[in-house]
Amino acid sequence: MKMDVLEELGKKVVLLGNEAIVRGALEAGVGFVAAYPGTPSSEVPMTFSRIAKKVGLYFEYSSNEKVAFEAATGAAWSGVRAMTSQKHFGLNVAADSIPPVAYTGVRAGFVVMVADDPSAWSSAQTEQDTRYYARMFKLPMLEPSNPQECLDYTKLAFDLSEEFEIPVFLRTTTKINHSIGTVRLGEIKKPKIRGRFQKDPDKYYNLKPHLQVLHERLNEKLRQIEEKYGQKLNKVFPGEGKIGIITSGVSFEYAKEALLELGLKPSIAKIVLTHPISKSFVSNFIKDKEAVLVLEELEPILENFVKQIAKEANPNLVIHGKDLLPKSDEYNLERVIPALEKIFGKKFGIDFNDHKKKVDSASKNLTPRKPILCPGCPHRSTFYAVKKVFGDEAIYAGDIGCYILGALDPINMQDFVVSMGAGIGVSHGIGIVSDQDVVAFVGDSTFFHAAMPAILNYRFNNAGKTPLVVVLDNAITAMTGHQPHPGSGFTGMGEKVEPVKIEDVVKALGAQVKVSNAFSQKQLIQALQDLKSIKGPKVLISRGGCRLLTRRQFHAKGLAIPTFQIDQEKCTKCGICTNDFACPAIVKATVEPGGEPVYSINPDICLGCAVCVQICPEGAIHAVKKEGEK
Amino acid sequence: MKFDVMLTGVGGEGVLTTQVMIARAANIEGHYVRGVQLHGLAQRGGVIPTFVRFGSEKEVSSPGIMQANADLILAFEALEAVRATYYARKEKTTFVINDYSLVPIYASLFNIPYLTMSEIIRRIKPFAKRIHVFKVSDLGREKLGNAIFGNTILVGVVTGIGLLPLKEDSLLEAIKVTAPREMENNIKAFELGLQLGREKRSAR
Repeated sequence: MKMDVLEELGKKVVLLGNEAIVRGALEAGVGFVAAYPGTPSSEVPMTFSRIAKKVGLYFEYSSNEKVAFEAATGAAWSGVRAMTSQKHFGLNVAADSIPPVAYTGVRAGFVVMVADDPSAWSSAQTEQDTRYYARMFKLPMLEPSNPQECLDYTKLAFDLSEEFEIPVFLRTTTKINHSIGTVRLGEIKKPKIRGRFQKDPDKYYNLKPHLQVLHERLNEKLRQIEEKYGQKLNKVFPGEGKIGIITSGVSFEYAKEALLELGLKPSIAKIVLTHPISKSFVSNFIKDKEAVLVLEELEPILENFVKQIAKEANPNLVIHGKDLLPKSDEYNLERVIPALEKIFGKKFGIDFNDHKKKVDSASKNLTPRKPILCPGCPHRSTFYAVKKVFGDEAIYAGDIGCYILGALDPINMQDFVVSMGAGIGVSHGIGIVSDQDVVAFVGDSTFFHAAMPAILNYRFNNAGKTPLVVVLDNAITAMTGHQPHPGSGFTGMGEKVEPVKIEDVVKALGAQVKVSNAFSQKQLIQALQDLKSIKGPKVLISRGGCRLLTRRQFHAKGLAIPTFQIDQEKCTKCGICTNDFACPAIVKATVEPGGEPVYSINPDICLGCAVCVQICPEGAIHAVKKEGEK
Repeated sequence: MKFDVMLTGVGGEGVLTTQVMIARAANIEGHYVRGVQLHGLAQRGGVIPTFVRFGSEKEVSSPGIMQANADLILAFEALEAVRATYYARKEKTTFVINDYSLVPIYASLFNIPYLTMSEIIRRIKPFAKRIHVFKVSDLGREKLGNAIFGNTILVGVVTGIGLLPLKEDSLLEAIKVTAPREMENNIKAFELGLQLGREKRSAR
């Protein structure tokens, strides 16, 4: 596909929010980018990965977000403009290293981009509001509302960072990252990629008593940023009446359109610099108002700030926000319009509740379509074999990756999911206090990201019933879009490197290890039975490539993926292939209403893994013979 | 002016690429474009509701379409047209449905049978100004060797009927830059669809 992100100055193109962030960084002359992928932020590193060589900047997929943050810090300390990006939970991983860098500050501009995920479109854990981190770590935070602002504010964040020698957060949400919008491009700046670290105890020595000096310097920076940028970055859109709207991020876009739909024209205050929020800006906006509605997703951070300021600036002000809108899930026009209806006493033409009722009635008994492991996925085969050996009673620890979909019917083999690598850590505690069989699943990318210390701990504190760790190794970070990791054999710049073998690492961590072909039920079951009887730390590596990549490789070579079909004579309609194995390419359909169901394989989506052939008790599934084959 | 398109289908069907095609065509014509792609977990065989909105910058700002407000709904998988009724209403919305089923495993797992095409249409009717049904995936497989070209055929169909207020030339240009590897087949697919759409229009 054409890379609009590299189009020339002055052009108007349609960009994804994440692409616009990359363009903003390019226009700021970013020279060093390090990241671990995490959706909804994943297209930021993916875009950098595609263009890094062409533009001449350094890009890497780091082994985790903390490592990425640290690497970018090193570059920014050495005078090269640097950036790191992650999803909200990724920032939790990086969090340990951020506060000291807030104290020391940086030399070149350093932007820390973070993507929250209200409604959890791409996440399984929580709807964490990362704006709290800006307050806890005392760092400035900018929030764009649309792709154009993604470009503008990323660029500005670099300047702000460099001017005050402070890392700057660029905070987004899913509907910013994954929204598209028209963007007018500026000029790409040739990146500076070489620098030099200068020793400077006054800047980097953060032990007592100098620590307090650094802390006071940080306080002073924030004061100056609020003073200089509070009025400049935040905007008032003047309007009519005594009721005002205060908003930021994507909520601004909803507010704008909802007000137009309702024919209302109140003044709107848009907060772009959401930390530190300008007291004078808010104070000026609220002083002549009777009421305000604060529109922000998740936590009432702006709202609480307005309440605090109103005590002095306008004690009689009525402040609405989370009294009318939820603290969970995301906003949209259907949520914002009813809140505006209530405050302005105006009725909108469409009754959303009534419409929703009609939709529910039309959707009655509609076959659900939840996400599911892809046809041909090696994880399905591994789950199937593990359940054969360990049964329904064993505890199955989940983790973060495609295999999280093993939580759904009919697999049901992710009894809990905490965070990257946590399945192994939590299993250790269960193994110590109970005598239950525990199997902890972890992906290859997650293994390198956060699982190694937990496995090491099995070896160190080798007590109780040690869980079996199953590494689902497809040699790529598949869930977020096939990014490489230390075991993949190539870097984010596309350079070949010697892949790190997971079995070598596992052995060094002190665990016994077996490797099986993920697409062979026989091999898997043998390896699992062998490991089941072993005491002490043990790891099965179930190895098989992501079939989506296999398909791509086949296509590139002009080869056809082998497809399979069901012999209707042999099929006894036992349903194991659909109800237990549950490959989405296998379809059970009734041709005549009330008639006998027929099982068949959809050739449009079958990816030819051939595992169904192995699990069919009747031997009814076989490869489709090409013409001329016997 | 404001025009709201919803595209819906199943992860892996190429819905997102089609969104980019339409967005680029609208951009070529100087419209302000907004929209949203919902991937992540949903991409793995789940539903992918996707939006493209274009018009004046003043009127278009939310990335998603409001409930009951789509002008045009393209359902690349038939059953998903029913779930898309959330975004439709009788006075406003035209449905164009690909008569193609990807039966979810939940049909057999929970024993909730997949709906017949006539039942799908019966359920959509109260939300639709008009409903058009085409077998574009079958046509893609038949004429171009892959069901995935059904997407571009469908874009051709809606352009041919006159349901998508964008010019053929802009769409062609957008297709060329969006699918350079399969450009020839996608252009063929678009033209196939155009012809189908024009026939439909003259038959009215």
